[in-house]
Amino acid sequence: MSDAEGDCGTQGLPHPNRREVIAAGISLPVVAGVASGIAQPASTPAPERIPLRVTINDAPYELSLDPRTSALDMLREQLSLTGAKKGCDHGQCGACTIHVDGRRVVSCLTPALQLEGRQVVTIEGLAPSSGELHPMQQAFIDHDGLQCGYCTPGQIMSAVACVREGHAGSADQIREYMSGNLCRCGAYAGIVAAIQQAAPRMGG
Amino acid sequence: MPDGKYPSTPRVDAWDKVRGAAIYAADDARPRMLHGALAVAAVNRGQIVSLDVERARAAPGVRLVLTHQDMQGVQSAGFLLGGGFAFQSFQPMLSPAIHYRGQPIALVVADTVEAAQHAASLVAATYAVEPFQLSLDAPAQDIVAQHGSPLPQATYADKVAGDADGAYAAAAVKVDATYLSPPQHPNPLELLSTVAEWRDGTLIVKEGSQNSGAVRHGLARQLGLDPARVQVLSPQAGGAFGQKNSHQSHTVLAAVAARRLDAPVKLVVSRSQGFHGASFRPASRHRVRLGADRAGRIAAAIHEADQQTSRHDLFPASFTEMTARLYGIRNFRGHERMVRTDVQTPGYMRAPFEHPAGFAFESAMDELAYALDMDPVALRLANDTTVDPLTGRPLSSRHLAECLRRGAERFGWARRSMAPASMVERDGTAIGWGVACGAHKAAASPAAARLEAFADGRIRLAVAGHEMGQGIRTALANVLARRLSVDPRTIEIIVGDTRAADQHLTAGSWGTASATPAADAAGERLIQALRSLDPGYSGGAPAEVLRRAGRASVAVEVATKAPGQPDAVFQRLQGGLPAVQGPEFPDFVSMSYAAHFAEVRVEPRTRRVRVPRIVTVVDCGRVVSPRTAESQVRGAAIWGLGSALREISETDGRYGGFVNADLAEYVVPVHADVPEIDVGFIDEPDPRLNALGVKGLGEVAMTGVAAALANAVHHATGLRIRELPIRLDQLLAAPAARPT
Ligand code: FES
Ligand code: FES
Repeated sequence: MSDAEGDCGTQGLPHPNRREVIAAGISLPVVAGVASGIAQPASTPAPERIPLRVTINDAPYELSLDPRTSALDMLREQLSLTGAKKGCDHGQCGACTIHVDGRRVVSCLTPALQLEGRQVVTIEGLAPSSGELHPMQQAFIDHDGLQCGYCTPGQIMSAVACVREGHAGSADQIREYMSGNLCRCGAYAGIVAAIQQAAPRMGG
Repeated sequence: MPDGKYPSTPRVDAWDKVRGAAIYAADDARPRMLHGALAVAAVNRGQIVSLDVERARAAPGVRLVLTHQDMQGVQSAGFLLGGGFAFQSFQPMLSPAIHYRGQPIALVVADTVEAAQHAASLVAATYAVEPFQLSLDAPAQDIVAQHGSPLPQATYADKVAGDADGAYAAAAVKVDATYLSPPQHPNPLELLSTVAEWRDGTLIVKEGSQNSGAVRHGLARQLGLDPARVQVLSPQAGGAFGQKNSHQSHTVLAAVAARRLDAPVKLVVSRSQGFHGASFRPASRHRVRLGADRAGRIAAAIHEADQQTSRHDLFPASFTEMTARLYGIRNFRGHERMVRTDVQTPGYMRAPFEHPAGFAFESAMDELAYALDMDPVALRLANDTTVDPLTGRPLSSRHLAECLRRGAERFGWARRSMAPASMVERDGTAIGWGVACGAHKAAASPAAARLEAFADGRIRLAVAGHEMGQGIRTALANVLARRLSVDPRTIEIIVGDTRAADQHLTAGSWGTASATPAADAAGERLIQALRSLDPGYSGGAPAEVLRRAGRASVAVEVATKAPGQPDAVFQRLQGGLPAVQGPEFPDFVSMSYAAHFAEVRVEPRTRRVRVPRIVTVVDCGRVVSPRTAESQVRGAAIWGLGSALREISETDGRYGGFVNADLAEYVVPVHADVPEIDVGFIDEPDPRLNALGVKGLGEVAMTGVAAALANAVHHATGLRIRELPIRLDQLLAAPAARPT
């Protein structure tokens, strides 16, 4: 169904109405005296549910989804995979970063249905086993690359991809390629140090 | 360690946080969960004339739409500074009144997030609009001097020592300058989120907060409930920075909806709605006058400031409480006024007063150094003190001079040339080095702690306190591990849970100084209890003792308070009300201190300012958790950088509200902005404040950073920018003051 190339975006969507949901979520209309929100025809019929087959953290899922659902809300609200966080819902903070076919995407801007047939990895599936940590997770602990921890799952997923992309060659390059992941607590120095520690330990 | 210093141990909750296993309020995901979404006002002031929710009610999946017509019996929770619990006295949706743009006018609850958001967009309102004003340049009737106002005068009267006006008039060298600090939003990365549900008549609320006690008692007051019927769980806040320091406006809406629907309701306030739905750092304007002799002894300082408040609350400033105490200036006059504007009530964003006041005062100090042709570090060292200028009482500890000396050494300050625009790279990049200091009250609150040791090896501490990322769990674990001679990882720490201990507001940098002494005292009490079971016990795993004595567990409870506090503060703790002492104590005054050194590079053509490095040395008393403390100081430096060069909440005088209300338009520092940050601690305990010698850290570490950067920009360019944030337009508007 979806033939988009792994990136977030709306191409390949059967019903591009994710944008409408986004607009509703953020809009503060600037015309005084008019209602908040965007005028819509009354009593929109319930959107038809659409089937989705996706592999998440090596487990196959068969779901039936409201086409407006973002990958983030699907993970969090329907699958209780709440590691990915919602910091903005607009692709502006990176807290919701996951891997789709090995590439990092912001799941809040990825329509869930775009995951058809894809391999998804979330923070819950990053470690090799439940008692172990991925080298990047361990490095975040070692360098205290976190404070409140809210950005941390997104930072770690982004960091692993940053290394795999070959964008962890220097501290400056890491800073550039990690700049889509905000940390309001300001744990940035620890994060960069963690990526430098983990990169050579991640192997191929 | 023999010198009393604490070892650098890993953050105790990091293992959960790196696995996505730390649980924040909105991580409660359950099959029967319903989802809320807010519709908000599209005008800045007036009345709702008509509110059409029919289309929203008819939308698929919608279970409930609440408006002001559905909230009978719900009360305001009261203003935090007026004996209440909320960041403002005004509770939206109790009447048709609109006090600010973005104010909630309806809550939609639906089966899914998507359905709720869509239906919220269908809510339609018309309004009768009224004029509003947002500016510090308000008409006289909207300006209220704190001195002589209904606010408690012990705290908010003018700060006066000696005769500042007379000494200023007589001074040989003078500075008189005015500085502006804009509105800003804390934007913790966790959105304002609440899960509310009712079980057998008890309201259970999950919400990331610095003040679960106020959420509990605020909800009890709003809904007419016995506080025993309200439980608030806030084990983690995904950042808070003062915005989550009291009861929020949206929480009761989720509670009412959950009661009507008899189901759990999750309400996640969107990022843009959060710019209007909670408190923010108000705009402020500061006029600072300094008068000194030619040797740099400052004889007089006058600091007058105006700060924005809302129309419905008087939110006062405490700028001069800090600036009066930063140096040994014998003649000081501080005067603060509140300016009524049509916004939600502003509040306490990290270093709420110290940061803007520090920017103004420490910029003025730099201006004075240049007026004197005196090194800015030397000027500060020449005005050190051991006595509090306002009260004449001794300072419990003050190592600011040592912060300056160590910082200057680490930074290489001696290599600085004094003249502005005198340090230039080959390619014309201007280099600037700036210094500034900060101070912050060292305060403490009462705390209750319960410590339990089990025969199976577990140790559990429940204490008043909240974890917002500052590392309070790690600090508590370190202190208790040392007291009991056990591994910190064996200790389970329960904070932010009203079921486990009465909860006090965790803010104002008093969290660690309040909670760790309670933990330490509980540890001491536990040792006594274990000795009564085994007289030979001298520390180590309590489980051994318990097993030998045939006991499953032993529990102790303690309650601690700040020096000089009456026992009545425990009632305030139980009632969810703040009970804070400091910086003034009966026999002394306590402050934390920091010295910051910053380098900027200003590109020759674009005038873009980059910050390659910051050195900060802090006197926060004993450092009980070195690793998390260092992270906190780095974060504070980044906050100073954001404040100096990036962050402003833009208002629109025509339509009201904050217009750049998202994380793309409200610009915060990202990885690529962040310099090398070198952190030093004096790490000298202040035993007069508490037995551990802990002062505060999270805010003093930010105080003065913006001034150090602005002073560095002046040093690089010769341009004195007195309005934050420093932007290209300010640097380009003035003629370039640099050699080629
Ligand atoms: S929540 Fe997706 S980028 Fe912010
Ligand atoms: S650790 Fe709090 S936002 Fe990054």
